[in-house]
Amino acid sequence: MKEKLEILLLDDETIVGNRLGPVLEKVGYDVEVFEDPKKALNRINEKEFDIVITDIMMEDVNGIQILEEVQKKSEKTKVIIITGYATVALAREAMEKGAFDMIAKPFRPNDLRSVVAKAADSLGYKK
Amino acid sequence: MPDMVNPLELESDFIKKSEETESRNKFVLNKNDRELLERPRFTFRLHMLLVFLLFSFLSMAIIIGSVIGINRIQKKLHFVQTSERYLFQIEQARRWEKNYFLYNTNLEDAVQSADNAKTLLSQNLKKVITVLSTKETDTIIKHLDRYRDLLQELIVLEKNGIENTEKKEEIETSLRKHGAKMVEVASVLAYEEQESMNAMLDLIQRIPIYCLVVVLLLRVFAARFLTQRLVKPLNHLVKCTRRIAKGDFSPLVPMRKYRDEFTTVEVAINRMLEQLKLHETAMVESHKLRAVGTLTAGVAHELNNPLNNIMLTAHAMLEDHKDLSEDELLEMINDLINEADRSRSIVRNLLDFARESESVSEPLDLGALVSETIKLALNQVKVSGAKIESQIQPSLPRMRGDKQQLKQVFLNLILNAVDAVEKQGNIKISVKKADMPGFLSVQIKDNGCGIPAHILPNIFDPFFTTKGPGKGTGLGLSVSHGIITMHGGQISIETEVGKYTRFTVILPSRSVPANFNRT
Repeated sequence: MKEKLEILLLDDETIVGNRLGPVLEKVGYDVEVFEDPKKALNRINEKEFDIVITDIMMEDVNGIQILEEVQKKSEKTKVIIITGYATVALAREAMEKGAFDMIAKPFRPNDLRSVVAKAADSLGYKK
Repeated sequence: MPDMVNPLELESDFIKKSEETESRNKFVLNKNDRELLERPRFTFRLHMLLVFLLFSFLSMAIIIGSVIGINRIQKKLHFVQTSERYLFQIEQARRWEKNYFLYNTNLEDAVQSADNAKTLLSQNLKKVITVLSTKETDTIIKHLDRYRDLLQELIVLEKNGIENTEKKEEIETSLRKHGAKMVEVASVLAYEEQESMNAMLDLIQRIPIYCLVVVLLLRVFAARFLTQRLVKPLNHLVKCTRRIAKGDFSPLVPMRKYRDEFTTVEVAINRMLEQLKLHETAMVESHKLRAVGTLTAGVAHELNNPLNNIMLTAHAMLEDHKDLSEDELLEMINDLINEADRSRSIVRNLLDFARESESVSEPLDLGALVSETIKLALNQVKVSGAKIESQIQPSLPRMRGDKQQLKQVFLNLILNAVDAVEKQGNIKISVKKADMPGFLSVQIKDNGCGIPAHILPNIFDPFFTTKGPGKGTGLGLSVSHGIITMHGGQISIETEVGKYTRFTVILPSRSVPANFNRT
């Protein structure tokens, strides 16, 4: 098992990445931040992350597609969906397709930290 | 004819009453009503009455004419009889005269007959003068008098018993001469009068035929005229209702120089048009509010992004403010400000559209207006997963119109397109000069489900919707059509089921390019 949990964070809002990167690094995770979903997909294909955090509404590629790609690549990777458009239908679709959890915008950094911690827990990491 | 005055009075009563009712209902006579009502009144009823009076007058004239004619003939007949009696008396006198000269009898009878003739003549002298001339009448009288004098002379001669054969023969010659003259003139008199009566009878026989022809012609003319009076305004009204059905609510204007029963209908239609206009405005407003409702959901979602950014940044500052460098702090503060600005513009765009305002016509840049509308609908487009592309021709001429209402039209068309496309659908919007000179065209094309041909004729009808209950009001296209018509434009549609739908809106432009100084 790796020492540090490896996380990929994808959101087309620059500020989200800028703020959440340090937020997660501070609690001891290894974070790679992406704004462009295509680049993120390439990276996912290169490397197996423990946790993928992705926005759902983005140009070109949406969060559900990212989720499907991640699941194709590795079954154990946990996917956390961030959404500004928290509709029930979307939440159900994401959960049915195997997302670990969903977090609706706007949220506090600690909200994300606790969801990530839960995911880490389920992966067997103890913090 | 008191019966015929009544309808007129009734009519004026009716108008007075309706005018009273109107003022009681506090209807302000607006300009159009005044134009309609200020014309001189010439009602259909009055028209009918006039025609009726004309025909009554005509028949009266015919009746009076016939009575006079018959009366005259009667008089003439009487005079003919008199002349014949006169002629008979004279002839009788001559017969007695002949008897006297042949058998020496009846001289007294001859005198009696001549006297009778004289009496008849003097009784009808006036009439005789009108038939014959005064001179001729004098001749008659002269001959008659002379004849009688000669007879008297004979009587005297007879009484005296003087057998003056010479004198007697002289008198006989004279008597024959005057007698013949008298008979001749009397025959002329009788003949002339007979002729004149025959001529009059002839005329009286022909007059009804002339009258019949004249009345028939008059009747055809009157019928044609009355029908025209009825049919023309009816056709006009039918034309107007067609125009109204197409959404043109401009009031009716006077067509003729006078007002009549149809004016009441026209005023009523104008009232209806005012009400329709009000309803249309209300409908446009209610449809707008519905669009605002749809947009609000999108805006609420869209607001989550800047709000999230603000929250994350504020928390970052709260957690790390001691460790952050001044540059980092500044960056974060700028982020906060920018995101707050972004929130404001998201809300402002919607509020701009939602704000209730009087309908105002102002110079507009159609390209900019369509761009703003696209921005307004962008959240909905994003949620649906569709893509939207716009091509706006630069330096388009400006146009005049109501900004909010036009935005409403394009928003409605875009939202319809969003509903029609699946995920990964494509919506293409173009703004350019229309093929028709002096017009601008906005096209909104989606590659969605298309519209089946059988419902195509109904899509602009109010309350027609293919969306499930609670989803669409069925007012969108109807309201859009109304707004575009009001702007002097047209809205048209091309569609193929399963392939595409393209709405084309054309609007009249002004000749000044949009980027020139705003007036």
